[in-house]
Amino acid sequence: MKTMTMRWAVGILFAVLAAAVPGLAADKETLVVGVSSDVHTLDPAVSSDNYDWRQIYPAYDRLVKYKVVNGEGSTEVEPMAAESWTVSPDSLVWTFKIRKGIKFDDGTPLDAKAVTFSFERVLKIGKGPADNIGAIKTVEAVDDTTVKITLKSAFGPFLQTLATDAASIVNPAVMKHEKNGDLAQAWLAQNMDGSGPFKMTEWSRGERFVLSAKDNYWGAKPALKRVIIRFMRESSDQRMALESGDIDIAEGILIDQIPALEKNPNIVVRRFPSQLVEYVYINCQNPKLQNKLVRQALNTAVDYPGIITHVLRGNGVQMRGPVPKGMWGHKADVFQFQRNVAKGKELLKQAGAEKLDLTLIYSERRPSWEQIAAILQSNFADIGVNLKLELMANPTLREKVDRGDFELCLGAWSPDYADPSMFMNFWFDSNNFGLPGNRSRYKNEQVDGLVRKALALSDVAQRVALYNQAQEIIMQDAPYILLYQTQTIVPMRAWVKGYVYNPMLESMYNFESISKQ
Amino acid sequence: MRIVSYVLKRLAYLVPVLLGVTLLVFIISHAIPGDPARMMAGQKASREAVENLRRSMGLDRPLYEQYLRYLAGLVQGDLGFSIRNQRPVLEDMRDFFPATLELTLASMLLCVTVGVPLGILSAVRRNRPIDHLSRIFSVFGVSMPVFWLGLMLLLLFYRHLGWLPGSGRLDIGIDPPAFVTGIYLLDSLLAGSLGTFRNALAHILLPAFCLSYVYLAIITRIVRSSMIAVMGLDFITTARANGIAEIVIISKHCLKNALIPTVTITGLSIGELLGGAILTETIFNWPGMGKYVVDSVNFLDFPAIMGFTLVVSFAYVLINLAVDVVYAFLDPQIRY
Repeated sequence: MKTMTMRWAVGILFAVLAAAVPGLAADKETLVVGVSSDVHTLDPAVSSDNYDWRQIYPAYDRLVKYKVVNGEGSTEVEPMAAESWTVSPDSLVWTFKIRKGIKFDDGTPLDAKAVTFSFERVLKIGKGPADNIGAIKTVEAVDDTTVKITLKSAFGPFLQTLATDAASIVNPAVMKHEKNGDLAQAWLAQNMDGSGPFKMTEWSRGERFVLSAKDNYWGAKPALKRVIIRFMRESSDQRMALESGDIDIAEGILIDQIPALEKNPNIVVRRFPSQLVEYVYINCQNPKLQNKLVRQALNTAVDYPGIITHVLRGNGVQMRGPVPKGMWGHKADVFQFQRNVAKGKELLKQAGAEKLDLTLIYSERRPSWEQIAAILQSNFADIGVNLKLELMANPTLREKVDRGDFELCLGAWSPDYADPSMFMNFWFDSNNFGLPGNRSRYKNEQVDGLVRKALALSDVAQRVALYNQAQEIIMQDAPYILLYQTQTIVPMRAWVKGYVYNPMLESMYNFESISKQ
Repeated sequence: MRIVSYVLKRLAYLVPVLLGVTLLVFIISHAIPGDPARMMAGQKASREAVENLRRSMGLDRPLYEQYLRYLAGLVQGDLGFSIRNQRPVLEDMRDFFPATLELTLASMLLCVTVGVPLGILSAVRRNRPIDHLSRIFSVFGVSMPVFWLGLMLLLLFYRHLGWLPGSGRLDIGIDPPAFVTGIYLLDSLLAGSLGTFRNALAHILLPAFCLSYVYLAIITRIVRSSMIAVMGLDFITTARANGIAEIVIISKHCLKNALIPTVTITGLSIGELLGGAILTETIFNWPGMGKYVVDSVNFLDFPAIMGFTLVVSFAYVLINLAVDVVYAFLDPQIRY
């Protein structure tokens, strides 16, 4: 009798609870994205994190935006808040004409003053994002709709930097929230004040972030009314929610779970060549690694296709040259290392470096690194290099890389704007030693000259020629082991339409043009 | 009155304990190699940007000065400023602590309401089928990896049967209730929203069970063994000889005496759980202290790590005190 009552009680409990669960699948105006990382700060002048930009980007307008060509993201820019622009012959002075009629939520107009305020604020605060628009020397409001920007020196990718999150135009009225001269940083860390198509309507930390479409947006009206960004750290959790239709897009599903998802007819798994590359920094200042023959030998030992097939399950391509495929300046015929054990041994012999002991440091930042480290260990053993693996916490690793206190280190890199300088100048200019970019501490005066000259020019053909020349030298000097360029995999419900991936906007979405059908 | 002065004395001890905690955590967290300004500035930040950040966060000051400034703030109830979230740590605590508290209370409720009766039943029906079953249940609980159990529960009840909702504190489409305590079960009732309450209840069932299972198993075993020990004592034989009903003997005489170790374990478990159950919180996507502190450590967010440790040590000391006070009620021989 007792057992019967118990069963009834449990049955009723489940029935009551289950009845309380409504589905979001039917709601065509709400998009739910499952993501694996929480948001930390919303200030475009402070955050250097793509996961923050995911929320910030759709809430602000910028002078220019990336073009969408045939439903695909491109690296070219087109007007956004700026109607048009002109540039002086020496490429130093840029004059932008601002579109009339754009307003912030409180009615303040988005005008030349707002642009000046925003850029000056980023530069004055001087945190990470200031580097993105660091080419700017002065910003001046000529009249209400004209902004004149003077650069420190000619800078090829300047227009592209204006499409980054750092160049978001903030309402100057935020200054009423300023405390102790912080330029409203404390307030903007938790609030948004932009003129973009969406605004924040809720942020429950660690749970979800809700963006709502603005009815009076000056551009095309978004099809979605609401976007819920749901923080779900576990890959399996995201997978279950996607399969159940509780979320529409899942951002953090591990590669090994993708094949199972592809069998589900309600789910589409989309793959895009990304600009995210993974590579090994070889510390060129380390006495053991100063000889380029040793570095070439290490490059020759690696089983590139093996790593791509077994670790990435085919979701990547071996890099050819430092500039990835899809970025202009990519050199399709530059020398590429292939695995050749005999040659590797020979190179080490020539360098007089047989029986070499090296240490590779890596962190748990990417789940694949553990496996890659093990493969490198075995590959290097084949040419007689004894590789010790050292796993460490990410902050510790970064500190070591910055100080040059390592021999080999696994790393990843993605560009902030569509310009080969994000690779060529960051990685190889000897002024950028350490974390800022030249993590191999590589110094070649000829390369320094070439990449610096290329950065100051605005003519694309001339720049490509200089970068090509530099790439030839670099591939011989082999300061990095260029492993692969990854694919970004985005599984989503089949009813999600209009999603555009842009490799420059990793983890950021075009919510304004996505719909559910 | 004695107990009042005892409690006051113990509360006064809190000050040196917490001071010690701050000093220890400060030293340990600063001994970790790594640079929070670099972490905050971003992957490719220039040295200039990193230095600006370091200055603005006061990280360029000598360590002793940073520590003294922290203490000075603490006296005024200021737990510092989170480097990662760019806001006061106290506000972070306000957001993350209630979720942990809610989950802890729910799992403790399960532990006590299921564990104690099950322990009594096992003791009374010693070596009978129910005792064996309860033993299997307990061994299972102590040895089951939480990670696996959580995933299996979700897979079964959410993905396949669809009886219970998935991870999180509420369904994705449901707005959280207005903030009063931060405990959704309570806040939804205060707001008079029964639908939200039911949803929050449905969401807490699996994580609470998953989290409580280990402690539930321990509590069942402890109640059983201490009940058996008490049941063999002379005063119970005397009570039986006097013809007192078995149910009265069990519930009044045995249980009360057997509860002391149970209270100790429960107190310790609550303290431990308040620190956040990292695995359970991760699997069930529960935005509590466990996840918060792991993120903070990964980011070298010193003020957040310190704030977290302080709050948890404070709670731990208070719970220990409460346990000691409960002893006095359970056993009249204990005097303070």
